Amino acid sequence: MRIKKLIVFLLAGITILSLAACSDTGDNNNSSDKITIWAWDESFNIKAVNKAAEVYAEINPDVEVEVVTMAQNDIVAMLNISLSSGAYDGLPDIVLIEDYRVQGYLTAYQNDFSVMTDIASADDFAEYKTGVNVIDGKMYGIPFDSGVAAVFYRLDLVEETGYAQADMEDLTWDKYIEIGKAIKEKTGTDLLTLDPSEIGQIRMMLQSAGAWYTDEDGNADIADNQALKDAITTYKKLIDAGIVKKVSDWNQFVGAFNSGEAASVPTGCWISPSVTSADDQSGKWAVAPFPRMAENPDSINATSFGGSGWYVLKNVGNEEVAKDFLKETFASNVDLMNQLVEEINLVSTLTAAGEAENYSKGVEFYGGQEIFKDFAAWTEEVTPVNYGKDTYYIEDMMTEAVQRILNGADMDKTLSDCQTQVEAAVAKGGRKSK
Amino acid sequence: MNKKKVMESFNRQAWIFIIPSMLLIISFVFYPMIQAFITSFQTGTGTNLSVNGIDNYKRLLTDTTFRKALFNTLLYLFVQVPIMIILALVISSMLNNKKLKFKGFYRTAIFLPCVTSLVAYSIIFKSLFAADGFVNAILMKVHLISEPISWITDPVWAKILIIVAITWRWVGYNMVFYLSGLQSVDDAVYEAADIDGASAFRKFKSITLPMLRPIIIFTTINSTIGTLQLFDESKNITGGGPANATITISHYIYNLLFKYSPDFGYAAAVSYVIVIMIVVLSFIQMKAGDKND
Repeated sequence: MRIKKLIVFLLAGITILSLAACSDTGDNNNSSDKITIWAWDESFNIKAVNKAAEVYAEINPDVEVEVVTMAQNDIVAMLNISLSSGAYDGLPDIVLIEDYRVQGYLTAYQNDFSVMTDIASADDFAEYKTGVNVIDGKMYGIPFDSGVAAVFYRLDLVEETGYAQADMEDLTWDKYIEIGKAIKEKTGTDLLTLDPSEIGQIRMMLQSAGAWYTDEDGNADIADNQALKDAITTYKKLIDAGIVKKVSDWNQFVGAFNSGEAASVPTGCWISPSVTSADDQSGKWAVAPFPRMAENPDSINATSFGGSGWYVLKNVGNEEVAKDFLKETFASNVDLMNQLVEEINLVSTLTAAGEAENYSKGVEFYGGQEIFKDFAAWTEEVTPVNYGKDTYYIEDMMTEAVQRILNGADMDKTLSDCQTQVEAAVAKGGRKSK
Repeated sequence: MNKKKVMESFNRQAWIFIIPSMLLIISFVFYPMIQAFITSFQTGTGTNLSVNGIDNYKRLLTDTTFRKALFNTLLYLFVQVPIMIILALVISSMLNNKKLKFKGFYRTAIFLPCVTSLVAYSIIFKSLFAADGFVNAILMKVHLISEPISWITDPVWAKILIIVAITWRWVGYNMVFYLSGLQSVDDAVYEAADIDGASAFRKFKSITLPMLRPIIIFTTINSTIGTLQLFDESKNITGGGPANATITISHYIYNLLFKYSPDFGYAAAVSYVIVIMIVVLSFIQMKAGDKND
């Protein structure tokens, strides 16, 4: 009897122990001279960090820098899970966060992010970039790339239809669509690609008019937003013109213009390395300023799309080393920026980088056009807007509204419905952030 | 007396065996469920939560994205589950045919999709059904269509694509249940029907279906729960798009937590809608199934 009991206890014990053993495999490798960095986009951000790590290795050879490539969505999900549960194991010391999202993090987890005021000053960067990461006068991140938007286009196709490079200057959407129709008619090539789930184009149009889905105080501004209405009207014109190739993800998007199925790419200047990766199209491309909406007097030929900054998570372990890394590289190093101009066509938002020599060089792929000078000039014109903290949430609802309007629904009615829905969702956020 | 003692010690031993799994279920299933229910009455971003009563549930009523997700999920449920169950029944009774050759091969071929990873097959479907993908190429080659179908970027085709994908993935799974159920049906019943001159359809309707009824109920409940929790296909094939046209409730919960600024309270409220739906639907199905007993 006793032996039987013993066996039972042993078995039960083993079950529990083996379960407990499963949970104890994480190793806490937090040596003081190693920092981890998360970023996305192999052809752009990752190259930049690796270069920065090389530069930093000369300044401080004792520090080991580990760069991890992750999809942006995965970074977002991981940060959300870990920060909300307060579990810092496995989080990076430095993380790249897109400008649209950073306010959401800074309001929800302000105490998890390092203040950068002691290593950099907001005055050193383009104004519209620091608008998103300064809270109560304290700067929480180092702005990185400019998201200044431009139209990358196939000059050869435009010229084939009888238009000239000059027609693409001071561009309006109407003119752009007109040229697009001519290209489609003559060559069969679509003007651009659109993803129905992603209305980045509308976002760019909005900022070109100094507007956003939210007003300066972060309240939803949809129902009576003239710029938004103009943007949706323009978007509808684009679709109705039949010059749009629909894509459903990043790979198809890049594939379309690399394989010559789209004649232009109106987006952030960070797309440049992807455009230039099609060697066979060298010399055929040119860059024009972003189109403005002629019917909207506030709309100018400059806007921004994407762009991001570096943030230090202070509870992960190596706050000081991580800050020192940023201080020596992205926060001040003009020489590094100069190298990155060549390597990834970086348009830095560090004001001092404007003097870097590579900025005044022409790029052969774009027929020798001095694109960086243009980018820098447009960057200065971009109107800063408050992205608020719910851009992607609002945008998901907006994509539905836009699709309904494209299918013939009444714009005013649809937008006012959308306003109600957004208010219900964002209301509590507005109260919190004050 | 002695017997009672033995029983007691048996009981004690049984409890010792059960306790670990009970503790695990309580701490990893029931505790989170209760906690989620409490969270659903709170609001705030991240960990700064405060109680706001039933505001989250009120917000559900004005949330058109939620309504869309609910509609899509129910659409998948009411269109896809019957198609799948009928297909599985037909295939299983065909495979149960004694004269059929290469039975093992067909069974394996039809069951194989179920052992593939959800994410892997979703991504393969996505590339097969891309605008310039394999499926469009084939359809154009055989002149069924003159222009490529935009499977992923058109709201209607995207829904069809999701339904096709889930059906492909799960028919084999249900078929296996029916096949094993059919093994227990006595051949004599079919032989008797043959002697009476019953047609194949009549045999299916009057013998196979009634005999398999408990299994059909089981698979229907299982499929219903599975469909209500549908996530991988929506996330990976269409990304919920175009413009949330294919988003499911589970995918919406994921978005609320991990895509936007995390809103635990509201996400918990939405997840309780699924809980309630599963309970109600399962209850109805069980009642409907029991009726004739």
